[in-house]
Amino acid sequence: MADDPDNSVPAEPEKMFTLKRWNCVCFWNWDVECDVCAICRVQVMDSCLRCQADNKRDVMGRQDCVVVWGECNHSFHHCCMSLWVKQNNRCPLCQQEWSIQRMGK
Amino acid sequence: MSLKPKIVEFVDVWPRLRCIAESVITLTKVERSVWNTSFSDVYTLCVAQPEPMADRLYSETKHFLEQHVQEMLTKKVLTDEDGRPDLLQRYYTTWMEYSQGIKYLHQLYIYLNQQHIKKQKITDTESFYGNLSSDAAEQMEIGELGLDIWRLYMVEYLASELVRHILEGIAADRASNGSLDHHRVQIINGVIHSFVEVQDYKKTGSLKLYQELFEGPMLEASGAYYTDEANKLLQRCSVSEYMQEVIRILEYESRRAQKFLHVSSLPKLRKQCEEKFINDRLGFIYSECSEMVSQERRQDLRNMYIVLKPIPDTLKSELITTFLEHIKSEGLATVSSLKGENIHIAFVENMLKVHQKYQELIADVFENDSLFLSALDKACASVINRRPTERQPCRSAEYVAKYCDTLLKKSKTCEAEIDQKLTNNITIFKYIEDKDVYQKFYSRLLAKRLIHEQSQSMDAEEGMINRLKQACGYEFTNKLHRMFTDISVSTDLNNKFNTHLKDNNVDLGINLSIKVLQAGAWPLGSTQVIPFAVPQEFEKSIKMFEDYYHKLFSGRKLTWLHHMCHGELKLSHLKKSYIVTMQTYQMAIILLFETCDSLSCREIQNTLQLNDETFQKHMQPMIESKLLNASSENLAGETRIELNLDYTNKRTKFKISSALQKETPQEVEHTINSVDEDRKLFLQAAIVRIMKARKVLKHNALIQEVLSLSKVSFTPNIAMIKKCVESLIDKQYIERTANSGDEYSYMA
Repeated sequence: MADDPDNSVPAEPEKMFTLKRWNCVCFWNWDVECDVCAICRVQVMDSCLRCQADNKRDVMGRQDCVVVWGECNHSFHHCCMSLWVKQNNRCPLCQQEWSIQRMGK
Repeated sequence: MSLKPKIVEFVDVWPRLRCIAESVITLTKVERSVWNTSFSDVYTLCVAQPEPMADRLYSETKHFLEQHVQEMLTKKVLTDEDGRPDLLQRYYTTWMEYSQGIKYLHQLYIYLNQQHIKKQKITDTESFYGNLSSDAAEQMEIGELGLDIWRLYMVEYLASELVRHILEGIAADRASNGSLDHHRVQIINGVIHSFVEVQDYKKTGSLKLYQELFEGPMLEASGAYYTDEANKLLQRCSVSEYMQEVIRILEYESRRAQKFLHVSSLPKLRKQCEEKFINDRLGFIYSECSEMVSQERRQDLRNMYIVLKPIPDTLKSELITTFLEHIKSEGLATVSSLKGENIHIAFVENMLKVHQKYQELIADVFENDSLFLSALDKACASVINRRPTERQPCRSAEYVAKYCDTLLKKSKTCEAEIDQKLTNNITIFKYIEDKDVYQKFYSRLLAKRLIHEQSQSMDAEEGMINRLKQACGYEFTNKLHRMFTDISVSTDLNNKFNTHLKDNNVDLGINLSIKVLQAGAWPLGSTQVIPFAVPQEFEKSIKMFEDYYHKLFSGRKLTWLHHMCHGELKLSHLKKSYIVTMQTYQMAIILLFETCDSLSCREIQNTLQLNDETFQKHMQPMIESKLLNASSENLAGETRIELNLDYTNKRTKFKISSALQKETPQEVEHTINSVDEDRKLFLQAAIVRIMKARKVLKHNALIQEVLSLSKVSFTPNIAMIKKCVESLIDKQYIERTANSGDEYSYMA
C-alpha cells in the first residue's frame, strides 16, 4: 500500500494507521484467590461489616478497609484479621501460624 | 384633727356624713375641706370608743345606697319628665353618673374598706380552693356594695326591657348597614358594658350576668337574623355571589360586634354567623365546586377558601378532594399520551409545569394552606407512580433518571439553566416511590457519562449527587460517590504516570488516558471479560502502566475492559488523512490491514480471539461507515473484508458510531430485574434485622416495620415481603412460633 503509486502519501516510512489517543478503562481487584472474606463473609472488594456499619472512610472519601495476605496466601480484610489474631494467632482457613505476607494498598 | 379614738354618738355624725355621701354619689361639687371632714368622720366612726361603729356605718350606708338607687330608678329612669327620648338613654345617663359616683364614694370610705372590710374578706387562696361558705351577711367594700345594689334594684328590674331595646338597636344598625348614629351606638355599647362592669369586681364569674342576661338572647336573635338573611340570599344569588355576600356580611358583623359587644362575645357571634351562613349551607356552596375547580375560577375559589377556612377540616374535604382530582386528571392528561424518543424530557417537564402551576395557584388562592399542598403532593405522587396497566411497570423513575442524564450530558445549554432544571427535577424525583429504580438507572447513566467523558461539568455532576444525598440520605448516593472518586483518582494517576514516563524518557507515541475503577462499585452490567488478543500496538502501553500501577499499589490486579475503551486512529492510507474515533476492537481490526488489503472474517477473529457476537457488533458499523467493504452481508466465516481505498469524507475528524452507547431494551429490562433482586435482598436483610432486635413479632407488626424501613427507597408489595419471610423460614433464620400461626420468632 505504502508504495502504491496512486497514493500521494509522502515517501517517509509512515505507517498507514497510527494510534493517536487511547482512552481505556480497567477494573482493579484485590489479587485474591477467594472473593469473600472468610471472617465477615463480605466481599473483600467491599469494606468489612464493621467498617460498613461505622461508615469509615479516608480523606478521599474511599472506604479505608484493605486486604491482608498471610504467608499461607489466604486473604482477609485487615480489620477482620487484626481482631481475629487477638484470640487465635492462626489462619482461620488452614490453621497455620499467622504471619503477614503483604498488605493491600 | 386627732387620730385618737374618741367617744362619739353615731347619730351626731351620720346625718352629716349621709348628706356628703349623697353629694358625692350624685357628682355634686364637694369642697375639699368638707371632703376631708367626712373622710375623718368615717375614720372616727370606725375607731369610736367604747365600741367601733363600723358595722353600723356599713349597714346605714347600705341602706342609704339602696334608697338612692331605688329613687334613681323611679325618678330618673322610669319617668321621662324631662323629655328624654327613651329608656336606654335614661338608663345610660343614670348609670354613667352612678358608676362614677360610687367610685368616689368608695374613696371616701377608704378607711372602712381597708381596715374593717378587707380583714373579713376571704383570702385569695381560700377562694381559689373554693371552701367559701357564701355568707350572706358578708360585708363588701363600698364600691362593690354599690354595684351590687345597682344590679339588684336596677338591672334585675329593667333587664328584659333593656335587652329588648338593645336588640332593637342592633337590628336597626343591621338594617341601616351599620350607619346607626354615633351617639346611639355609644349608648348601646355603654348599656351592654354596664352588665359587665357591674360585676367586674368579682374574681370568678364576672361575666355571668352579662352572659345570662344579654349574650344568650343576643346570639339567639342574631342566629335567627342570619338564617333569615341566608335564606334571602339563596333566593336571589348564584353560588359565586352568595360567597361574596357572605364574606361581606362576615366582615360587617365582626365590625358590628366590635362596636357593640364585650370582647368575649366576638368569637361566639362569629361562630354563630359562620354556622348559619356556611355550615348550614355547605350543600349550596359546594354545588358548583367541581365547575369552579375545573375552570380554575380563581376569584370564586379564593372566596370559597375564605368562606370555608374557619370551618373544620372534615367539612372542607369536598373542595380538597375535587381539587386533588382536578390536578390528577390534568397531570394524567399531560403525561399519559407521550410518545417518541424524548419521552423522558416531556414527562418531567410537563409534570413540572403542572406542579408549578398548582403550586402557584395554591399560593395565590389558598394561602399555601397545608391541606391543599398535601393534596397537590398526593395528586402528583399518584400521577407519577401510576402504572399504565396492572402488569406494566411504572417507568417514571427511568424517565426522571434519563432526564437528568440529558441535562448532565454535554450540550449547549448554559450552566445556570442546567442547575435550575436539576433543582426542579428533584421536585419530581421526590414523588417517585421506586427510588431504588431511579438509583439503578441514574448510576448506570452516570457510569456511562463518566467513562465516556460525556459530562458537561463535574461540578454539575457533584451538585446533583449532593442533591440526591440531601433528599435520600448517604446510603442512596454511596455508590455514586465511589464512582466519582474513582474518576478523580484516575485523573490524578494519569498525570503521575505521564510525569513518570517523561522522567524515564519513554515516549509511548500515543496519548494515553486510563481509568482505573474499583470493581464492584460500578454498575456496568456483565463484567465478564471478553477474550481478546491485545494487538502489540497497545501492549507496550498496557505493560508500562501496569508496572507503574503495581509500584504504586500492592496486592491489586487490573482487568482491562476493552469493550469500554475507545481511541483515535489516524488513517494515512487515503487521499486525505483522517482521524477517526472508534472502539478498541475496531482499532484492532483496522490495524490488521497495515500489512494486507483483504482478510476473511475467520482470519480476523482468529488473530484477535474475538467471539462471533463481539466481532459482528463491532464490524457492522465499520461496514456501514464504508471504511471497510464486505463481500457478503453475513459477517462470518469466509466473507472477505477489504479496506476501502476510495473512502472519502468531508470531515477529517469523525467517529464511528458504536452500538454500545445506546441503551437497548434488554438493558432496561435487565436493570428492572436487578432492582427486583436487590429488593428481595434488602427485604430479607430488613426482616432479619428486625427479628434479631425483637425476637418475637406478630406478622402484621413485622410487615409494618419492614414498610417503614424500606420507605426511603421503595414501597414493596406485601406479597414480596411474604415471600421473603417464607424464604427466611426455609433458611432457618426465623420460625413460626408454636402457639400462634401469625407470629414469628428469631432463631439465633
